[in-house]
Amino acid sequence: MAGARFSRRALLAATAATATTSCRRGARARDAVVFKHQPLWGDPAPFHAMVADFERATGVRVITEVLPNASDALHQYLLTTLEGNVADFDVLVVDVVWVAELARAGWIADLSHAFPPETLRRELVPAAAESAVAFGRTYAAPWYVDVGLLYRRTDLVPEPPRTYAELESAIHAARRVSPELHGLVWQGRQYEGLVCNAYEAIWGHGGESFAGDRLALDTDAARRGVGYLRGLIEQRLSPSTVLSAGEEESRRAFQSGRTVFMRNWPYAWTEMEKPGSPVRGRVGISALPGERGPAPSVLGGWQLAINEHSPPALRERAVALVAHLTSLEANVTMAVHYARNPTRAAAYEDARLKAESPYIASLLPVVTAARARPQTPYYPMLSEVLQSELSAAVSGVRSPAEALSRAQRLADHVMGARG
Amino acid sequence: MKERPAHGYLFVAPSAAVLFFVALCPIAFAVWLSLRRFILVFHDDAFVGLANYRFLLRDARFFSALGNTVYFTVVSLAIELVLGLAIALLLDRATRGRGLLRAAVLVPWAIPTVVSGRMWAWMLNPDYGLIPRLLPVHDVDFLGTPGYAMHAAILVDIWKSTPFVALLLLAGLAGIPDELYRAARVDGASPRRTFFAITLPLLGPSLAVTVLFRALDALRVFDAIFVLTGGGPANTTETLSIYAYKTMMRTGDFGYGSTLAVATFAIVVLVSTVYLRTIGRSAGVAR
Amino acid sequence: MKRASLPSRSAMALGGAAVLTFFVGPFAWQILTSLRTEATVTELGLPHALSLDSYVAAFEGQPFARVLLNSALVAAVTTLVTLAVASTAAFALAKLDLRGKSLLLSAALAVSMFPPIATVSPLYLALKEVRLLDTPLGLVIPYTTFALPLALWVLTGFFRDIPDELYRAARVDGCTPFQAFRRVMLPLAMPGLATTAILVFIFSWNEFLYALTFTSSPTHRTVPVAISLFSGEHAEPWGEIAAASVIATLPLVLVALVFQKRIVAGLTQGAVKG
Repeated sequence: MAGARFSRRALLAATAATATTSCRRGARARDAVVFKHQPLWGDPAPFHAMVADFERATGVRVITEVLPNASDALHQYLLTTLEGNVADFDVLVVDVVWVAELARAGWIADLSHAFPPETLRRELVPAAAESAVAFGRTYAAPWYVDVGLLYRRTDLVPEPPRTYAELESAIHAARRVSPELHGLVWQGRQYEGLVCNAYEAIWGHGGESFAGDRLALDTDAARRGVGYLRGLIEQRLSPSTVLSAGEEESRRAFQSGRTVFMRNWPYAWTEMEKPGSPVRGRVGISALPGERGPAPSVLGGWQLAINEHSPPALRERAVALVAHLTSLEANVTMAVHYARNPTRAAAYEDARLKAESPYIASLLPVVTAARARPQTPYYPMLSEVLQSELSAAVSGVRSPAEALSRAQRLADHVMGARG
Repeated sequence: MKERPAHGYLFVAPSAAVLFFVALCPIAFAVWLSLRRFILVFHDDAFVGLANYRFLLRDARFFSALGNTVYFTVVSLAIELVLGLAIALLLDRATRGRGLLRAAVLVPWAIPTVVSGRMWAWMLNPDYGLIPRLLPVHDVDFLGTPGYAMHAAILVDIWKSTPFVALLLLAGLAGIPDELYRAARVDGASPRRTFFAITLPLLGPSLAVTVLFRALDALRVFDAIFVLTGGGPANTTETLSIYAYKTMMRTGDFGYGSTLAVATFAIVVLVSTVYLRTIGRSAGVAR
Repeated sequence: MKRASLPSRSAMALGGAAVLTFFVGPFAWQILTSLRTEATVTELGLPHALSLDSYVAAFEGQPFARVLLNSALVAAVTTLVTLAVASTAAFALAKLDLRGKSLLLSAALAVSMFPPIATVSPLYLALKEVRLLDTPLGLVIPYTTFALPLALWVLTGFFRDIPDELYRAARVDGCTPFQAFRRVMLPLAMPGLATTAILVFIFSWNEFLYALTFTSSPTHRTVPVAISLFSGEHAEPWGEIAAASVIATLPLVLVALVFQKRIVAGLTQGAVKG
């Protein structure tokens, strides 16, 4: 009896608590720009200062809210909220490969008046500009970029290899000194990272992303590229553990000193130069090798877009915020404090950047030569197909030729069925 | 005892209302979606009748996911039952350290799945994970080798779900009257005989409910495997729910994704109907 | 409590040790990882130096304490509401003669058979309409709904096991059905309630899909979503994640320990009555 009374009271109290916290929200007439982004890591002060500068200069209040970094969680969140025509946030961060998709859906605003495509192409690195433009109009402003890099142990391989052949002989040479070393580690798990690695291999063999309107998958270059990745494992130039490796697994393998080469994004450099890292001071970076010379890397990164359904009164303020966060000054701040690679070519020449982050400044050639993955509103569907088939190819479930031919059929179906 | 129905309906009204509005309506909506071609990004929204289902019957990836799901369910359920029963018996009869054991058994279940998935991925990591180090065979890449990944997923599910099974079975065990055991001992029955003649049969209803709910969960498994392998390598650990999730949330194809969900639902209903009609009835579950 | 002759004591001790190792081992490993320094996080031996850095980092950058509170609030309310709603229904289903009994149980079963992913979008739109997005109540409602089937099944079983005579006697004594339920049946069903409470609490504590979709501001997040936020764009701060999950799991284990005693007490009571 006492028990029953207690639980009833507790039930009422707790329900009241949840109900009132819900009531307090009430109707929110918004006058502040809401910016949803992923956590930036590191000291939050410089970022908040950047935002505060904007608030002071324009008198506009900005509320920042964080979303998970995980691509899936974020994409799912955006699909659900944007489809619901939610007007709760104004500025959002989108992956470079989502722009065409979100633009086609009409969920992100056309920003061509504020960021004309020609201006983007003039001021930003080529691939970043292209990633922000869909159907001839600008739909996003690139915030920061990522590129695939070849990391090497400078004590084992003084000069960067420029071709696949040079890479292989460098691995053999290093193994003559230390036979237990792995050769090249990369990301071969079934996820988007595999698509990046595969495209780099395809481009390195002279392939292109598109053949006309179709994806160029069932091509000689693609077969050689994917075959090359599978071959790395079969010839033990890469350990079979790459098949379950993402970025972090590759990084740890390289950082522990057990491999000669690694393909990874620039973020790994910062980790490896930290005190206590076994390979500190013995790491060099370069462009990825190709068949005949350095090959283009995949361009990753994130861009700022504006919610098409955000209140019209806030639209111009949101645009102003985006302009502020993608300015040259902001590029340099993000690079120096958060190791986010700039999108503006001029930022790489900036004196402050060169002084405080020479590593990032040195990335300019690789970033300039980087290519975007296929720009199409079907990209998420295509990525699904590619992830399945590429994983089958590199893990030996299917031959590269068969996997690519299946991928081609499925990709054509996906793109063709919609006309 | 026949009470006036009016009181009775008042008792069940809250549950019925909650189930109807919050659960059945969204489900009905999903079924409705499954009859349409509904692709978010392209604002494709047209009634296509059973076209999605016709496509489903020719979809190799669906059947592959179905096979993975069934294999996962059967193997993990079998092992969890045996292990769960053993643990329930242990908890029931242990005199010392009972509290510690009970707390220990609840730990895997208490950890959020997103964390336990990554924790096991960490432990199974071929380069610096604990498990490959402990095994006599080295260089086994559990999560990257097509054959092994599914079994790694099963292991994680066993770790995570056996507590649930043990808990339900423990409650059932406690309901078996002591006199029966005393009588059996007086009769000179061996522990094995006692177990098979008394414990197991009287545990029937608990076992039946446990199997039912575990099977329902296993057929719809998503969180643990998704975090552990993402469905790979080469879709060898892709279950029905993972396929449905990817279709809906990655490609934005809510029409076909809902079809997959409804198909999963139909399979689960089929399995449980067959189950309830045969085993369940004899164990006194469906009354 | 004397049961049939046991397997030898050493066999049981061995079994107990195996259980402990298998279930607690990974978690102990997690605790160990959370106490290492970042540089030594991948090592396999015992750490030379213990460090609380990961715990400190886990609380920086996120209002993790607030997040823990949110999870606790949502889980507690869900549990209480579910118990209240399910116990009354289970009692009626077990003891009263109603039409549509099997319909309700089948509907409950159907709900628990449906893949949750397909319900995310319609629920999101519905919650948006009633302005319950990003609120604790907006999570309690779906959680209660999807915890209800299991609660109904477990509790119906428990109520069924309670002899009808007790209920009839209470009615003869002049209690209304609800009084009979509250004063006689509910206390007897305590073990079932405790079991259900644990099941529901843990389910709602660990739920990720709905929590991710229906909440957005940092102050309203729940634990699983917050932990998923620890990951950087590429990097995973394993030490911090380990620390956060240790912090997130300990309350659950404590709750379970508390309720566990209730179960055993109730069970022995129940066994005597038979």
